[in-house]
Amino acid sequence: MVIMEPEQWDLTVSSRHKLLDFKLRELIRYRDLILMFFWRDFVTVYKQTVLGPLWYIISPLCSTLVYAFAFGNIAGIGTDGIPSLLFYYGGTMLWTYFSTCLNSASGIFLANADTFGKVYFPRLAVPIATTFSSLFKMLIQFAMLMVFLVYFIATGSPVRPSASALLFPLMLLWLGALGTGVGMIFSALTTKYRDLSHVLALGLQLAMYITPVVYPLSQVPENFRIYFYFNPVSAPMELFRIWFYGVGTVPNEMIMISLVSTAVIVFVGLILFYQTERTFMDVI
Amino acid sequence: MATAVKIENLSKYYRLGVINNGVLWQDMQSYFARLFNVEDPNKEIGREEVYDKEGFWALSGIDLEIEQGDRVAIMGRNGAGKSTLLRILSRITVPTKGCFHVKGRIASLLEVGTGFHRELTGRENIFMNGAILGMKRREVARKLDEIIAFSEIDHHHIDTPVKRYSSGMYVRLGFAIAAHLESEILIADEVLAVGDIAFRQKAIGKMNELSKEYGRTVLFVSHMPGIVYQLCNKGIVLEHGKVTVEMCPVEEAGTKYLELIGTVE
Ligand SMILES: Nc1ncnc2c1ncn2[C@@H]1O[C@H](COP(=O)(O)OP(=O)(O)OP(=O)(O)O)[C@@H](O)[C@H]1O
Ligand SMILES: [Mg+2]
Repeated sequence: MVIMEPEQWDLTVSSRHKLLDFKLRELIRYRDLILMFFWRDFVTVYKQTVLGPLWYIISPLCSTLVYAFAFGNIAGIGTDGIPSLLFYYGGTMLWTYFSTCLNSASGIFLANADTFGKVYFPRLAVPIATTFSSLFKMLIQFAMLMVFLVYFIATGSPVRPSASALLFPLMLLWLGALGTGVGMIFSALTTKYRDLSHVLALGLQLAMYITPVVYPLSQVPENFRIYFYFNPVSAPMELFRIWFYGVGTVPNEMIMISLVSTAVIVFVGLILFYQTERTFMDVI
Repeated sequence: MATAVKIENLSKYYRLGVINNGVLWQDMQSYFARLFNVEDPNKEIGREEVYDKEGFWALSGIDLEIEQGDRVAIMGRNGAGKSTLLRILSRITVPTKGCFHVKGRIASLLEVGTGFHRELTGRENIFMNGAILGMKRREVARKLDEIIAFSEIDHHHIDTPVKRYSSGMYVRLGFAIAAHLESEILIADEVLAVGDIAFRQKAIGKMNELSKEYGRTVLFVSHMPGIVYQLCNKGIVLEHGKVTVEMCPVEEAGTKYLELIGTVE
């Protein structure tokens, strides 16, 4: 007698689907792929350069010099008493981290159309990998910042890191999620409207000036300060200076608004990303 | 014999015509044009229905069961829906209706080129593709020499970015990877067309070996009857998105396919 076993499928794909499906187990199974993407980002960018990863340090240093000159020396904007090098370098570092997360997530579908059209893997592996590579670059810059910080403390500058600085990894998660979340929203929209990528490039460039990156929040006139509540990047920027340099102002409401909007943005980003991933190859 | 792939009432709807202009500004122009009943500035000349949301069913109601270890040829004329079916099974796109079940892992080679990254070398791409198939780095490393040997890409080229490969080399490497990585089902859509004769024969031999010795299932599309008969043992025919010749021995399917073309013409 033949015993029929219930059929055990490894995979079932149906036209019916959920609004959001994280495919977490699949993502974990593909962790080697995430590592490969991470490493690919790293290798391909510096393959034909001379200085290689040294650029990670050189570019924020150059920006720091120019900002210190333009905003500090010429425009005369204060830094809350923080040494210029620390102030501008820290700001540039965080802003670059945020905008790299955003930028690399926003181009995912168009940049990977070739690969996506040929092979399957959980597409979320790509934004996860790009976020990690932005994080990695930032950590190199952060190590450099710590060297500067130790130097300034040793030479008697009035900067005082607080114990809260130990929460820095959480801030990185916060900023990374925010950047990648906005990026994923754009990644879905740019597949339909290509001109949004120009809007994004311009927007990101200008957004830096309406975020307390090159100036502290305390320098913003009282009647304009309300706008900064609507910019979720303001809070982590200012919080960073409080944690590491011991100077700065950030209202609790601003932090709350930023955290809540980060959660909403990530959620919307994931839904849009998931919906786009399903049918993107039909319309490209 | 166990079933490797089971397809139930699978359908795929494609929208035709211009879905949107792809440029936000033009979409807004068109939107306002419709709103105020004026001539749409983006309307293509000689084309009445730019906003036609109509489409067509590239696949409709496909029911299919593929036994493990079979080498199935999917025949059909251009536009019959063969690639669409393989794209859905490879999870590049989703079905509009119906579902399918798979037992085992699928490695696919869809039309020319695989998901290679142009800037990475051949060797790096082998690891990349292995990871894409969900394999551990160690597993890939164990198969590395075998893959390189099979692709016949010499040691100078294997460490060169694949953007400098010829199209035949591209396909050879892609095929070598797909054939050697551990998957239970191999999907190949017109991949051997650019390989040279020697490689084609070798590839067919390899697929036969994989299927007979390791019980791998192969789904194969090719417009070259010689290759199809050499490789496949079963066949089906698709016409306008429907299965018109059910699963049967490949010679029988081939004959019926030729008859269909003859009578249709
Ligand atoms: N993304 C798409 N959007 C709209 N229509 C599509 C899309 N992809 C394929 N089609 C249409 O679906 C039909 C089936 O295409 P498919 O590529 O499956 O044909 P095929 O059987 O592989 O043909 P060939 O032998 O030429 O490779 C064709 O009419 C094609 O125009
Ligand atoms: Mg085809």
